Amino acid sequence: MRNLLDWLDSRTSYRNLVRHLLDEQLPSGTSWLFTTGSIVTLLIGCQFVTGLGLTMYYVPSPKLAFDSVRFIMDGLPLGWMLRGLHYWGASFLVVATVVHMLRVFFLGSYKAPRELTWLSGLSMLLVILGFSLSGYLLPWDQKAYWATTVTINIAQGTPLVGGALANILRGGADLGALTLGRWFSAHVFLLPALLVVLIVSHIALMRKHGISGPIEPASGPAVLFFPWHVMKDTVMMAVVFASLITAAALFPAHLDEIANPTDANYIPRPEWYFLSLFQMLKYFPGPLEPVATMIIPGVAIGFLAMLPFLDRADGRHPLRRPRRMFTAVMFALGIGVAGLTGLGLADRPPNKDRNDWGLLPIAGMQIATSEDNTCAHCHVSGGPAAPLSFTRITKDNEWLLSHMADPMVIAPGVRGPHEDPPPVMSRFSAQAAVAYLKRVHAGDPVPTNVTATVKLAALTYAETCVKCHRISGEGGTLGPDLTAVGRRRPEAEIHAFIEDPESLMGEPSVMPAFGKLLKPEQIDALAKYLASRK
Amino acid sequence: MHRRTSLPVPTEHASRRGFLVRIIQATYAVIGATLAFVVGGAVVAPSFGRRETMWLHAGDVTALEEGLPLPFTLRVARPDGPSEVVDRKVIYLVKNGNEVRALDSTCTHLGCRTRFNPETKLIECPCHGGVYDVNGNVVSGPPPAPLRPLGTRVENGQVMVQV
Repeated sequence: MRNLLDWLDSRTSYRNLVRHLLDEQLPSGTSWLFTTGSIVTLLIGCQFVTGLGLTMYYVPSPKLAFDSVRFIMDGLPLGWMLRGLHYWGASFLVVATVVHMLRVFFLGSYKAPRELTWLSGLSMLLVILGFSLSGYLLPWDQKAYWATTVTINIAQGTPLVGGALANILRGGADLGALTLGRWFSAHVFLLPALLVVLIVSHIALMRKHGISGPIEPASGPAVLFFPWHVMKDTVMMAVVFASLITAAALFPAHLDEIANPTDANYIPRPEWYFLSLFQMLKYFPGPLEPVATMIIPGVAIGFLAMLPFLDRADGRHPLRRPRRMFTAVMFALGIGVAGLTGLGLADRPPNKDRNDWGLLPIAGMQIATSEDNTCAHCHVSGGPAAPLSFTRITKDNEWLLSHMADPMVIAPGVRGPHEDPPPVMSRFSAQAAVAYLKRVHAGDPVPTNVTATVKLAALTYAETCVKCHRISGEGGTLGPDLTAVGRRRPEAEIHAFIEDPESLMGEPSVMPAFGKLLKPEQIDALAKYLASRK
Repeated sequence: MHRRTSLPVPTEHASRRGFLVRIIQATYAVIGATLAFVVGGAVVAPSFGRRETMWLHAGDVTALEEGLPLPFTLRVARPDGPSEVVDRKVIYLVKNGNEVRALDSTCTHLGCRTRFNPETKLIECPCHGGVYDVNGNVVSGPPPAPLRPLGTRVENGQVMVQV
């Protein structure tokens, strides 16, 4: 082994390179504050490695993107952990990069001759934000779709070039397969290449000028980078890595339902690191919007970029003249971002409760899993279609509904020459079945012990009420949302209302009197269920 | 590694240094191993996943002819990563008296699809000239083994085959 390495060294002089990299002399007093860069390096490394694993399974197409992410999480051992590490790694990386930048700012490490080191670092922060932005489109769930719609519409607001810019980001007039392709390519090829170039320049520049060291030069001999400072780096990296693993294990990455462009009720929220920008939009309505989307972020980034050129006087202490002024601006910036993020977090819509199935999916469950359901005619081992247990939702809603209403027309060749058409599922039943399948495919826990009352209420709801009333995110919006109707009205009142709304309201109502249209037990079940929704 | 002469107390220094180097190496090894376990596990796992077998209805006994391997197409639905696929698998069913045997039509040489030639009453592989008899035994050519027999049972006149 030793001989082999000697031979390798004689041909490549690799030991000189290693020595050159490790035997850097650091100024005396180089403290733990100077480990922030290593943490960023570690996290970038983790993102590369976990990204490599994810890319092996991810399919950048609207038909399969969602299912491939589902497959990673459910079909691979530790796949949920793999995605969790990448997902949490993104957040950790944004935090670590900002912390590193703040450290450099407060110790005045960006000052001449390190202007370019600072600029390459700032560029890296922007590239990392670019990674985050392109990354969360990829799972093609509701959040991905709608947050990206908002992002692209913001770009569209750019003066003069907005329309063209939005079209370039989308790859056309609509958000779809072409968008996903280019964002995927940016996320796994373009941005990583940029990042590698920036990292190499950043570290080369750091080595060229040496690290800045403590604010006031400390007396004493220089410290060797390896192993004395590397030890500090290693301890910090170990702590951060352990936290990352813990976060990924305790709070697995979430996947919304599959993207549904026809859902007008989804309220998109970006990841927390873009929440401040998102929140700011609310204060600059209409023609003022570019102030929030372009001018304020532009000025903030411009300030950071110009910092080493503005702050040219001697003295690195953040609270002494002449740096006090810049520190004040930085604080204002920090408070602004933190405040807006806080407001954004407070203003978040409540998360959908994955255990609250409402009624439509329950009705769908009864239809899709009943003994006499017709799906199993074809979706069976040895049949023309895969069993429902591993059928994926690769088609849009309209296709699914039509397919369930008349499976044979949608899948040509399935109907034999002399076969009668099978019993056709009504549009309402199909809607319910689709709602059920989507819940199952989103990985929501299937409810057990559904009472007969709830089952009856569900089937009744799926045939009638669903047209106008929404429960837990499903249903029409003509009438009021019934998700928490039990808070507003007692059971008896709901019962009377369903039977004859006009007599209760004392005025004409759009809602028909269901007293004659539904059976008494159906109304009983509905009233009982709805009253329980609080 | 070359040490600088300016550093104080070389011997004590050296042992402390060696200790730190060990700790550093060990920490990186643990981080690397954790990542390798998670990423490697996810990457390697499907390579060793077992395929579940199932019994499918291939055809009816009445449709078979004595001593003649007839091809039947099975539709085998299976998950294909994040997708799903319905494979069409061709098998031969041969009846010998009361016994029905099923043979995989895939040539055991390099995996081409074989064909039954009714004139010669032999199963032939179009790729490299492998030839099997009606029971799947190699007659000539490169195949290293007989055609793979599949589990078969007859229920109420229906031939069920295990794939």
